[in-house]
Amino acid sequence: MNRARTTVLTVAGTLLLLAAMEGVGRLGVLGESWPPLTQVVAALDDPITRDLMGRALAATATAAGTGFVAGTLVALGVALVGALLPPLQPGLDRLAAVVHAVPLIALGPLLITTVGREGTPAVIAALAAGFAVFVAATSGLGAAGAAHRDVFRALGSSRRATLLRLQLPSAIPLLIDGLALAAPAAVLGAVVGEWFGAPRGLGVLLVSSMQNFQTDLMWAAALSAAVISLTAYGALAGLRVAAARRFV
Amino acid sequence: MAATGISESPPEATPRATPGALELRGVTKEFRLRRSRTVTALESVDLAVGNGEFVALLGPSGCGKSTVLRMLAGLDTPTRGEVLVNGGAPAELVRGHRLGIAFQEHALLPWATAYDNVALPFRVAGRPVDADRVNALLSLVGLEGFTDARPRQLSGGMRQRVAIARALVLQPEVLLLDEPFGALDAVTRRRMNFELARIWADQQITTLLVTHDVDEAVLLADRVVVLTGRPGTVRHVEDITLPRPRDKALTRDAEFHDIVDRLTALLDEGAE
Repeated sequence: MNRARTTVLTVAGTLLLLAAMEGVGRLGVLGESWPPLTQVVAALDDPITRDLMGRALAATATAAGTGFVAGTLVALGVALVGALLPPLQPGLDRLAAVVHAVPLIALGPLLITTVGREGTPAVIAALAAGFAVFVAATSGLGAAGAAHRDVFRALGSSRRATLLRLQLPSAIPLLIDGLALAAPAAVLGAVVGEWFGAPRGLGVLLVSSMQNFQTDLMWAAALSAAVISLTAYGALAGLRVAAARRFV
Repeated sequence: MAATGISESPPEATPRATPGALELRGVTKEFRLRRSRTVTALESVDLAVGNGEFVALLGPSGCGKSTVLRMLAGLDTPTRGEVLVNGGAPAELVRGHRLGIAFQEHALLPWATAYDNVALPFRVAGRPVDADRVNALLSLVGLEGFTDARPRQLSGGMRQRVAIARALVLQPEVLLLDEPFGALDAVTRRRMNFELARIWADQQITTLLVTHDVDEAVLLADRVVVLTGRPGTVRHVEDITLPRPRDKALTRDAEFHDIVDRLTALLDEGAE
């Protein structure tokens, strides 16, 4: 009953939003830069545009995916080091915060000279995703209750056994939350990274269509980026529901 | 110095000559609060529990009785005085995985089944899980049909039984119980008391039970140590000579009620 209602409301809300986009475009209240949704979708009917969009989408998805996986692995590694060597924990937290606080735009030139224009999108995606995962993993590894910790200590558990049998399992729900936030962050990071001169990708398409006043193409690229983000988030949110049932 | 808690040893005997399994010697515990203020939880407490003895530490909430248990488990250290377990530091016993412990919060792993929760101490100790031992303990606490149940599928009393089975699974030398039935309703609590009496009669492990329930203390223990006040000090030690096995009939016994009334009065005075 409750679930059915949520589904109905979600669908109704989505339709309302799409209808509003269409309406605003048709009425032209926000000028020519806001075309109706149907016109944006129609632009993809052209095989050349579709091909262009397909390649851009593949490039961005690859960069975002690579960055997501790499960022997650590095963040997990650093969080585990912090959990096993508690004196390092505050320093690692601060390091992550500082890295995250540097504006991506400022990192652009640095990355272009180090990893090149092709590698930049994936690296920025990794930085964006990694921070979300690091924060989630750190708080997740500290999420076990005091009574559980006491039991493990009184049982003579080693730090490794406590990490393996208590901290990691109790971190899983928060960790998946972090992954669900990291996935859209990786897509955004990849798109931003492509602005620094990548050969192809949705970010490149966004910039060039904006400069050439190809409004439909620009919107199509933006919507494609949104679709990847939402798909990744949706998949991980599903995983979260399953994990909540298992680990809480 | 008078060893308040050592009732059976003669006053001349040096403490080393009759080492208890658990010993506190002149233990004071202070906790630091903010702005360098401290609060004294325990004040020169002496306590000894002999091998295979069941001692209940009875006191009102906030008298520091849980602190005694935490120090014996190596979870806290005394500010002054000495805490000995089998003649050594509590950490030694803990390192050897020879301590069993259960708290008021069952602290079972929510993602693990009853079987896996009871098997946990084997895994933490890096030993192969003795399935027969785990199953034997689950049936000892009356949960043979619930091996695959997760904690949230079990009632409060059942969770506590799993926690006690977990505490016993490695055949510990010392069992520490901190209000293990504190979160249960009165009827379940009493039933669990008799269960524990039966289990303990079977194993006879050196046990320290921390409780504020006078009936529970008298039903289970060989000796009841009454701790009162802030800071907590040993106020009285009562030998319980009631015959074992102790069962429901005992709760109608006049002597039982005498002892309970006397100890309750002591707690009441101590609270003033």
